[in-house]
Amino acid sequence: MAHEDPGKEPSWKADFPIESKRATHVSRREFAKFLGLLSGAFAVSNGFIVLRAMAFPPEKLEGEQFVANVEDVPVGEMFQFEVGEEKIIPYILIHLEEDQWRAFAQKCTHLTCAVRYSKEEKKIECPCHNGWFSADTGAVLQGPPPRPLPQLEVVVRDGKVYVKEGES
Amino acid sequence: MSNFRRSQNEAHPNKTNTILTGIILLQILFISMQIWFLFGALNNALEENFGFALTTFIGSLLMAIASIWLLRYIPEPLQKRPTKKPEVSPSRDP
Repeated sequence: MAHEDPGKEPSWKADFPIESKRATHVSRREFAKFLGLLSGAFAVSNGFIVLRAMAFPPEKLEGEQFVANVEDVPVGEMFQFEVGEEKIIPYILIHLEEDQWRAFAQKCTHLTCAVRYSKEEKKIECPCHNGWFSADTGAVLQGPPPRPLPQLEVVVRDGKVYVKEGES
Repeated sequence: MSNFRRSQNEAHPNKTNTILTGIILLQILFISMQIWFLFGALNNALEENFGFALTTFIGSLLMAIASIWLLRYIPEPLQKRPTKKPEVSPSRDP
């Protein structure tokens, strides 16, 4: 057993002081130790994100999925549909012009509000925080969304509209 | 008994203060950057940016190690020398 300095208060006694003033007082040494612990907790949280991304990779849409008939979605209108089996993701199909179709995820990349196509503006609008996306590319035009909307490729064949995963 | 360390500490009492403040400021700097990394990783990991999540994790881990390693250099609090109890020689006993 290590020899202890007789003039120094033992650790067990310092941790459970008798005076309430000493019990509630947080010294700078203790604060620094707490910051070390907090820093470790942040690193662990960041590691959790990595583990989660490794454990649950995003599922890709396999093959083509039927969405709607061409005559059901007039020019300038949008049609809501869903993709995915285990994890259902809402998407919107937009009939921009004759023979011009786009499909974007309906969840805004800011705080996952449902976005909608504005026929007057010819842009995609998120009404929650006034975010705007390009109806052509899904890129952010204005507002708080940090990323463009995820996009699916649209295939029109025999009067039917299908979506599939993009090449990129 | 006095030694060089005790004499230094008594001659420069502000040094302990400066070291402790410096350590706390460095830790706050590391933690601020870790919050920034975590926010970025949360925002990006959701969108298939695995490389970003991994890079921020490595950075965050290094900063956590640095924050904990800095705790080694926390100075001991300056304590007053324990007052010596008056020694009573047996010869003075009544």
